[in-house]
Amino acid sequence: MSKEILEQLKTSLLELDMEATLKAANSAVKGEGTTTAQDAVNAVSDALQVVGKRFQTGEWFLSELVYAGEIATEVMKLLSPLMKADSSKSLGTVVVGTVAGDIHDLGKNIFINYARSAGFNVIDLGVDVPVPKFVNAVKEHKPLALGISCLLTSTDKEIGRVIEELKRQKIRGSVKVIIGGAALTEGFARSAGVDAFVPDAVTGTDIVRKWSASQ
Amino acid sequence: MNFKERILTAMNHEEPDRVPVMGLIVDPATVNKTLNKKPTDLVGMIKKPWLAPLIARFMNTNRFWQSFYYSNTAGCLESALKLGFDANWTIYALMQLRKDTKSALGWAWHDAYGRVWDLDTDEDGNTAVNYSRALLETEEQWERWVEAKKPLFQTLTRNVEGFHKKLVKNYGDRILPIGYAAPGIFENSWQPMGFVNFTRFVYQKPDFVKKVISFHTDHYLKNLEAVMKSGVEVVLGGDDFGQKTGPMLRPELIEKLFGESYRRVTDLVHKQKKKYIHHSCGNIYQLLDRFVAWGFDGIITLEPTAGMDLGKVRQQVGHKLVLIGNMDVSYLLVRGSREEIEEAVKKALRDAARGGGYILSSSHSHPLVDPARLGWMVEAAHKYGKYPISL
Repeated sequence: MSKEILEQLKTSLLELDMEATLKAANSAVKGEGTTTAQDAVNAVSDALQVVGKRFQTGEWFLSELVYAGEIATEVMKLLSPLMKADSSKSLGTVVVGTVAGDIHDLGKNIFINYARSAGFNVIDLGVDVPVPKFVNAVKEHKPLALGISCLLTSTDKEIGRVIEELKRQKIRGSVKVIIGGAALTEGFARSAGVDAFVPDAVTGTDIVRKWSASQ
Repeated sequence: MNFKERILTAMNHEEPDRVPVMGLIVDPATVNKTLNKKPTDLVGMIKKPWLAPLIARFMNTNRFWQSFYYSNTAGCLESALKLGFDANWTIYALMQLRKDTKSALGWAWHDAYGRVWDLDTDEDGNTAVNYSRALLETEEQWERWVEAKKPLFQTLTRNVEGFHKKLVKNYGDRILPIGYAAPGIFENSWQPMGFVNFTRFVYQKPDFVKKVISFHTDHYLKNLEAVMKSGVEVVLGGDDFGQKTGPMLRPELIEKLFGESYRRVTDLVHKQKKKYIHHSCGNIYQLLDRFVAWGFDGIITLEPTAGMDLGKVRQQVGHKLVLIGNMDVSYLLVRGSREEIEEAVKKALRDAARGGGYILSSSHSHPLVDPARLGWMVEAAHKYGKYPISL
């Protein structure tokens, strides 16, 4: 029974069937069979990894990536209250935000969905984040990575300002910086002195996972 | 050949005297740099609490927007003329300056369709306007909005006609204005509700999505008709179907949702013996064959930073589409050397210009694009783009 529920959860999510996925998650919450909330979270995480791969190989498209993330978010609303905080299982902390002057959050939120499902503790600073807030969050949470999103060419200089301030406060070496967003390119990333530029949220999650593994 | 013959010959996949050059200049930063004009500090004025409501009262009239967009686009065409372009596209919209607590400035432009556009200033003091979020997150909000804005949509269509007539009258003997109807049917459908909501509605409320698309298709067709009454020869629809790595929606879904709409668009344009160019950013290889089937005459941007390669595109579609753009705006036209620009132009000509059907252009408008480098691009086109191409 447990195995069936978890299989149903995963299959429904991969069929982008919100109703069936939530039904399976509810069965898990009720403890049908021997399923635990952690088992259900793991099934969601497995399913999202498949979604991510499908997106990266071009089999799936942005709308499917977004909707799978939305279904996962709804499922996690059911499961999260039942989970005990267990930081030992986290792959690490990632601080994420959109630069000052920019309030776009689509790419950032997709990344958060996927990174959380992959097992990261994600601190979401939101949008329009000033430089000091990024830097203070690095000091406070000592994250593995700092993710910065930027969609506007008028605000891409903010990334350089964050890097400069991290250097000035002598904490640049303590955190990897990853950036993504429509305004950015590989060339920009090189000139800004960040550790990685990613074209999409799934690749971003993969890179942070590699950084976590190599720690 | 004059500018018009050059563009229209290339649009017919025949070889003109030399490869035509088209501008995508719509950015005030590029216009001001080209014409040596000082920017107007709109954001600085709005930041003054006592002044902002007065500006709003002044701006929120039809007369203001008619004059604002005409003078902006006239500036774009003046810049394009100064740089030696054969054509440039035009932009018309209808905004309202509204108090908006979610915007950093406390004020934002709300457009007729339900989008919020944030206002900011770039480092040179030019106003930067960017789509930031949606106003219509539920079906009920959308229904109420379109009902309430009916008179505004009618005004918009009337304005579009007058705007283009004036441009054609004042510039049509010197440069080809590429007419612009409105934001595209896909963008007008999803941006006012946000991409996440749109995606949810696609799966959960397909009839509502169909209704939204049908509404925007009808509105778009009315605007197109209005644009074509001005006498423009070529119209451009701006609708970004792509993102950096591929189409935003599954191509089959794009066909299902928007195929009929765009077939109606091209039918209307072709009945009037005009040409339809489609602007789509992003990686759109998987959509090119559909665009051909929908009847598009040309495709513009072919964004190199999203992996679009002119040679590959030409190989894929042959001469079924006129290809426009592909000159990089992330580095080449911002900081590239004269030699690098010359090489890029030569490569574009080799890849796409034989037999006509190619119009040289930047891949997008961009505030950092340097007019001097646009000038080098035009010089290279004149030097190497004479037909027959012998590169």
